[in-house]
Amino acid sequence: MTMAPARDPGTGRQPPPSAAAPAGRSRVGAYPWVMAGSIAVAVAGAALSLNGVMRGWAWYWPVFTTVLVVSLTLAALRAVRAQPLLVTAGGFLSLGAILTLTFFRSTSFAGLFPTAASLGELDRLIRRASETVLSETAPVAPNVGIVMVTCAVLGLAVILVDALAVPLGMPAATGVGLLAILAVPAMIKPQSVGFWGFTAAVAGYLLILACSQWYVPDARTQADSARSPGQGRRAVLTGAVAVAATMVLPLAIPGFDQGTFPQGSRINPWGTSTGLNPMITLGNSLRTPAGSGRISYATNSPTPLYLRSVTVDNFDGDSWGPDDRNASRRPLGNQIDPGYAVAEEQQLVTAVDAGTFTSPYLPVPYAPESVRGLEGRWTWDPATLSIKGTDTTSRRQEYLVTSTVPKLTAALLARSSGPVQGIADDFTRIPGNVPDIVRTTADRVAGSSATPYDKAMAIQKYLRSAEFTYSLQSPVQGGYDGNGLSVLADFLNQKSGYCIHYASAMAVMARLEGIPSRIAVGYAPGRLTGATVTVAGQGALPEYEVDARDAHAWPELYFQGLGWVPFEPTPSRGVVPDYATEGSAFSAPGSLENNDDLVPDATRAPAPAPSAAPLPLPGAGGPADTGSPFLPWLLGTAALLGAALLAASPRLVRTGIRARRLRPAGTAAAVPLAWSEMVDLGTDYGLPPEPSETPRAYSARLRGSALLGEPGGMDEAAHQAAAALTAEFERQKYGPPAEVPDGDQSRTGRAGSRATELAGTRITAIETALRANARTLRRLRALWLPPSVIGRLGRLLATPFKVVYGAARAGLGKAAKAAARTWSTR
Amino acid sequence: MESHRRTADDVSAANRNFAGVAEPVSHLNGHRPAAMDAASFHDASQRILTTVNTVIDGKSDAAKLALTVLLAQGHLLLEDVPGVGKTLLAKTLARTIDCTVNRIQFTPDLLPSDVTGVSIYNQSSRLFEFRPGAVFANIVIGDEINRASAKTQSALLECMEEHQVTVDGKSYRLDEPFMVVATQNPIEMEGTYPLPEAQRDRFMARISMGYPDKDSEIEMLETHQSASPLANVSRVVTAADVAAMIATVQQVYVSQAVKEYTVSLGRATRESPLLRLGASPRSMLQLLRAAKATAALDGRDFVLPDDVVGVAEAVLAHRIILDRKAAGAGETAHSVLRGLLSRLPVTHKPAETGARAGASAGRSAPVAGLSRNH
Repeated sequence: MTMAPARDPGTGRQPPPSAAAPAGRSRVGAYPWVMAGSIAVAVAGAALSLNGVMRGWAWYWPVFTTVLVVSLTLAALRAVRAQPLLVTAGGFLSLGAILTLTFFRSTSFAGLFPTAASLGELDRLIRRASETVLSETAPVAPNVGIVMVTCAVLGLAVILVDALAVPLGMPAATGVGLLAILAVPAMIKPQSVGFWGFTAAVAGYLLILACSQWYVPDARTQADSARSPGQGRRAVLTGAVAVAATMVLPLAIPGFDQGTFPQGSRINPWGTSTGLNPMITLGNSLRTPAGSGRISYATNSPTPLYLRSVTVDNFDGDSWGPDDRNASRRPLGNQIDPGYAVAEEQQLVTAVDAGTFTSPYLPVPYAPESVRGLEGRWTWDPATLSIKGTDTTSRRQEYLVTSTVPKLTAALLARSSGPVQGIADDFTRIPGNVPDIVRTTADRVAGSSATPYDKAMAIQKYLRSAEFTYSLQSPVQGGYDGNGLSVLADFLNQKSGYCIHYASAMAVMARLEGIPSRIAVGYAPGRLTGATVTVAGQGALPEYEVDARDAHAWPELYFQGLGWVPFEPTPSRGVVPDYATEGSAFSAPGSLENNDDLVPDATRAPAPAPSAAPLPLPGAGGPADTGSPFLPWLLGTAALLGAALLAASPRLVRTGIRARRLRPAGTAAAVPLAWSEMVDLGTDYGLPPEPSETPRAYSARLRGSALLGEPGGMDEAAHQAAAALTAEFERQKYGPPAEVPDGDQSRTGRAGSRATELAGTRITAIETALRANARTLRRLRALWLPPSVIGRLGRLLATPFKVVYGAARAGLGKAAKAAARTWSTR
Repeated sequence: MESHRRTADDVSAANRNFAGVAEPVSHLNGHRPAAMDAASFHDASQRILTTVNTVIDGKSDAAKLALTVLLAQGHLLLEDVPGVGKTLLAKTLARTIDCTVNRIQFTPDLLPSDVTGVSIYNQSSRLFEFRPGAVFANIVIGDEINRASAKTQSALLECMEEHQVTVDGKSYRLDEPFMVVATQNPIEMEGTYPLPEAQRDRFMARISMGYPDKDSEIEMLETHQSASPLANVSRVVTAADVAAMIATVQQVYVSQAVKEYTVSLGRATRESPLLRLGASPRSMLQLLRAAKATAALDGRDFVLPDDVVGVAEAVLAHRIILDRKAAGAGETAHSVLRGLLSRLPVTHKPAETGARAGASAGRSAPVAGLSRNH
């Protein structure tokens, strides 16, 4: 019946039976499988980019199996020559089956067939997914609902792509389906599609195109172009070059990623961290095997220095993020005012080189008083003192921060028990629906303590106790990687996590106990590089460095009269400040581990501080405060010069070529070089020579065109020069070899220089005429972008490709031929 | 070299029976004529062309090409409709030179012996005597050559290629310069014997005269009313002059680049899918000779690619045979050649060529010497 159709419907449009194919019906061969593989690669590859829309990678396995099962079903049906419509219907059936197997196994019949109960379950999952979409911000936790919807959509995408590619015969249109998948991360993820997703999707798309061309060539072009031997190589080469160009171009050209239309940054496949939620990326940063985003700083702080870039204070919602408070931000001036007075302060100077760290938030030690040396516009938030760039990032910034830290002691903190005043409500508000476990834990740990300091110390002690382990992986495995109150509950259950969990646990519990709190995100104290940085008025300061692996979060608690005080609840990370060490408040030191290697050597640590003579007042610093303020000017000038040089380079090259040609040479060489110069001049002014044109024909065309003006008029000299040059060049090139000079070296030398001089005069005459007769645009082009140079550059750039093409021709020739033979005999 | 060319020397010396036959070799063959200097070459060629142009109005290109073929020691095939002056051109060219001219009107009953000559028995001397045919002249005008039978046409073959006649096993040299100017009528082919390809290949060039333009035609009507224009034609050069001019042409220098260009043109005709038969090596040789004559007429002592391009159509068009498909698509031999020429690259690397020429001046000298032997 359908299994034995008279016509061969296997692939919709079969190529005509080749000579090698058995008479009657051609075999289906590998085509359905290769095509299904291509489609699976394309769709599963595009799905890679959904990482970041959904947290982690746990969702990928069901997606992958769905895509694979659907595409394999399509291929199998096609391999047994099912009708095209039947193939598509089979795809839908298999999609339903695999979704049932994955998500509704318990309510299904035999694991594959949905029952009425499954439909109820489906309704529940869809509602859950819609809730997720409506209420959560990306990246969302991969709950069952959203994963089910993702699987279903991607399975449908496979069927769509397949239908477009095979029965409808529009393989190029499959790009639309893939684009639809990629559009989701491109719109939602701040760092856009991402490299791997983009590359895999493009590679899959190219594979689909290649399969379509190789197996089902267009009927119109069948006669000549189908399976032409060079086609595969050309296609591979073109595709590779195009993909590489797509990758490289965004790096080279300015796009819509800053300025008026910053939305374009989302399409950058490399993804920059601009605009990232630092809370989300922190875990990823910590897990990077190689540290990136290196920041180096030099400070006179006697204690290990935390660099803070942003704070998180709003604990509502499922995903926390910094609140920019754009309304109340103030432009960064000379002075940053913390808004409260602290009795005894210590002033620190820190020179920071942000290096490749890219973030809108500036890493500075708390509490900054002034920041100098920044480029671009920056604002600061009076509530949190976080400094944020409005149209710039921290990348490549070098700046000098003056900050103050209160001289804190345990006794001082213990005395601060007064009611909190003058602090925004944001920092004290207890979020709604705090999980019970958080509440009970807070009560159990700190409920009995009297003063805020005791409560804080109790919480810190609890979190640093042996019950808790520091782990970057267990939150991922446990599915509570990230932040939010539900994550916090999971963390307190599992008692394993990393800084973000410890910091948020302490901050939330402190609020529950009535202490204003917030989470600071930034960097833990770094490692000594061994180098020193000379800061004006401070002498040589030791330099430290931090990178992504030092990313850190810690709680800041507010104490009346003392301001915001950082704590360190995370075990094995950072340095517990003196005032928060247990020894100062508790008799038992417990199992505290101070990372001694993070502290500057005790012998050396106090060295900078005493030598710190009266600090230069912020803003009053001389011109030499960050080493060299001329540096930016120098760099700017160099950049300008470089840009000018680049713009002028075709012209420079052109001038260089001419100078070389008109350099005194022997008589024999002068004329051909002058001829080349004339041809190049003609090319520059829009009259390139044809390959089949003889010198005489070209010269005649040049003189006949309007470029050289009318003969006999003002440009007669140019005409004569061109004619004479042509005649001499012809004689030199085609004439009998010149007589051997009489041996008088000086005479030949003189003749050579005379020939060069003559050539120079002629070229000048020709160029004068060309320049006088050309229109402005053409003249400008000839001056600044001479086509002769541009063409030469183009040929030069094409050379590697030609070489590669030649190598591919030679090397892959046999393989391609063998492959073509295999395919043609299917 | 002379001995190679005089293959019949010993034979005729041994043949006392042909006592009455004068040695049919002109004095020019005794020694190689000296080349002319450029100025006198220019004068002589201008005199010939001016004279021809006074007779045939508005056909200076055809006249120049005819002279080119003469100086290149080739033979000329004039092919056009009746009444455009084919025969007039041939006769005028012949008249301007002080040399022997014979005219053969080819007819279907023309016999080979009428062309080459015949041995007849002399009653008085009781010896066989060779009576030279019409081909024994410096310029032979073969009118309506395709009217004669293939047998007669092929009698011309040996004469044209080898400049000698063999009758009864005896070879007789023809005068130098020797040129066959044949005319043929492309229409009204009934009762004709189209030239076989082998014979067409022996003509250096084929020229179509074409109709004169309006002014030339009016002038022609004016001047040719009463008297034949040929009556006024006087001889402006001698046969010796022509031989010297030919020697000058032979000395024209051909550079390596031009040789390469010529060869690549020939290869292009052979590789073209539009052509069933490309240009033969002999045609390459003749092309280069014609180019040398063109260069000499242009006052140069070296050949440019332009010279090759200039004569390529005339020299090659009648030798190549179009593919059936191309002919069906409306291509002609001329259009195919023009297409090939417009795509054939001329080496445009003057700097390199110059450097190479300068570096190996010593090496290119023998090349120049060889080229003179063409």
